[in-house]
Amino acid sequence: MLAIDAHDVEKTFRSGWLHRRETAALRGVSLTVARGAIVGVLGPNGAGKTTLLSILATLLTPDRGRVTVLGHDVVREAGALRRRLNMVSGRPSFLWSLRVGEIVAFYGRLYGLSGRALRRRVDALIELCELEPYRRAPYSDLSTGLKQRVALAKSLVNEPELLFLDEPTLGLDPDIAARVRAHIARLRREQGITIVLTTHYMREADELCDEIAFIKAGRILARGTSGELKRQIRLGEVVALKLDPPRVPWLADSPGTLRCVEVDGWVECTVDDAEKRLPELLRALHADGVVIRNVQVREPELEEVFVELAK
Amino acid sequence: MSWRNELLAVWAVTLRNALMGARNVFFFFELLFWPIVGVLSIGLMSRFLELTAAQASFVLVGTIALSVVNVCQLEVAYAVLLDVWSKSLKHQFLAPIGIRHLTLGSWIVGMVRSLAVFVLLAALGRWAFGFRVLQPGWLALATFLLGCFLTAWVVGVAVCALITLFGNRAEAFAWASVNMVLVLAGIYYPISVLPDSIAVLARAVPLTYFLDAYRAHYGFESEFRAPIATGLALSAFYAALAHWAFLAAIRRARRTGLLLKMSE
Ligand SMILES: Nc1ncnc2c1ncn2[C@@H]1O[C@H](COP(=O)(O)OP(=O)(O)OP(=O)(O)O)[C@@H](O)[C@H]1O
Ligand SMILES: [Mg+2]
Repeated sequence: MLAIDAHDVEKTFRSGWLHRRETAALRGVSLTVARGAIVGVLGPNGAGKTTLLSILATLLTPDRGRVTVLGHDVVREAGALRRRLNMVSGRPSFLWSLRVGEIVAFYGRLYGLSGRALRRRVDALIELCELEPYRRAPYSDLSTGLKQRVALAKSLVNEPELLFLDEPTLGLDPDIAARVRAHIARLRREQGITIVLTTHYMREADELCDEIAFIKAGRILARGTSGELKRQIRLGEVVALKLDPPRVPWLADSPGTLRCVEVDGWVECTVDDAEKRLPELLRALHADGVVIRNVQVREPELEEVFVELAK
Repeated sequence: MSWRNELLAVWAVTLRNALMGARNVFFFFELLFWPIVGVLSIGLMSRFLELTAAQASFVLVGTIALSVVNVCQLEVAYAVLLDVWSKSLKHQFLAPIGIRHLTLGSWIVGMVRSLAVFVLLAALGRWAFGFRVLQPGWLALATFLLGCFLTAWVVGVAVCALITLFGNRAEAFAWASVNMVLVLAGIYYPISVLPDSIAVLARAVPLTYFLDAYRAHYGFESEFRAPIATGLALSAFYAALAHWAFLAAIRRARRTGLLLKMSE
């Protein structure tokens, strides 16, 4: 059962009255998302992530392509679809003098909640998003992290089946970001909500997403689990060495070594097969009289996949 | 969509605008300052020019009508302006809300606010210049206010449409263009004094007819045969037109990405 089924979506922005400018934001994007999945959309700035999410959420109409979300056509059946989805964007904003509870209640009414049902839903969301102490605080007085949590509470007010999160942890400090991530994981686990998120934090994508779609210049370049992407890009494994003397010029040319970089006093050599190359490297270094102070072997990080694909 | 949901969405917007209005002291300033200045300066001017009681009533009706329309249309324009200013337009249109809920909800608040302004100005006019708004009777007064509210609705929705069409930089332009129309309505003079070419435009403004009907009770002969019916028909026509324009502007904003751009 698919939550999202998008085919060959194209979108070009036209702007300027005198000097017409055209930006091809999406150039034929196809994406399917299964119900209950968490899918991450990654890509460099201006890749088209927000544009794609906005089309799926009915905020933007596509120029071309067929898009079905939760069984509704996003253009023809936008009204019915809007009741079933919701979205959080990285820089949330609501009316400045409304209080936290009033904001959630306002959106609740738009989805047909009233009276006791509305009060109960607002209470539950304020508790879920740990906003109780700020319930009566005007929105403009809140910190970035709290605003983000208000946005999350608002986005759950209609008990959506599908949730779009556009950079949900943008500008949050690490422990709040971790809490937001925990919320997201729980929403999927406990309520089975399908989630599509964009992020610039690779750890976030690695930790949360079942699958990742990599988008660049309006096209999806790769798609798969984080492990699949790492294998697909064939980045090899990283052997990190702490040496004395710290620089050994011939390392980059040793057999099986793809590249060597220096990071914070470590020499990181990417090799095709660590199990085979590590003993060879150690022997050669020893023979050269280099003292080996520390050695680590690890898989490449998603970040490196990102850098490779974004090239 | 059920009736209950329709009313609930309108109520949500009404409550939102009322809360925003109640919490902003500058809104109150905006609400009261210019109307009071208007009535005082027009009243004093009519005293200085030694106008008859009827003539003074004529211009005071005009200035009060202008204030009522202005306060009410501003609130109707808040239907989108609040979201434009707070950059929450995209959250708004992500929800299942129609422009009818936004404009109706804001209009209700606008009517309450401009009614308050009207009562205050009427009291001020009575106390300072002996001007009696109730002289024409309750029904005539109610019709006159309805005419002001309808005009305000049209103007406010037109401003919303222009802003969603051209973006928030067009705010000043939007207001200037619609206020142009109001000036034509013969606020301070009968439209018979206008040159023919401009009088044609004035005849297209619904407020002209409501002013005309109300002033007839102060001894000024009506310039039209059925002013109230004409005013209502014109208002209905423009209301439909403005609603359609706003709807089309929102559709266009979804297509061009302006809806997203105004939320950044
Ligand atoms: N409303 C708009 N009007 C005009 N151009 C737009 C609009 N929104 C996006 N664009 C352009 O479309 C392209 C894709 O933008 P988009 O916001 O989708 O990128 P993104 O992947 O979300 O980037 P980021 O990581 O910076 O958020 C960019 O070149 C951008 O300038
Ligand atoms: Mg973006």
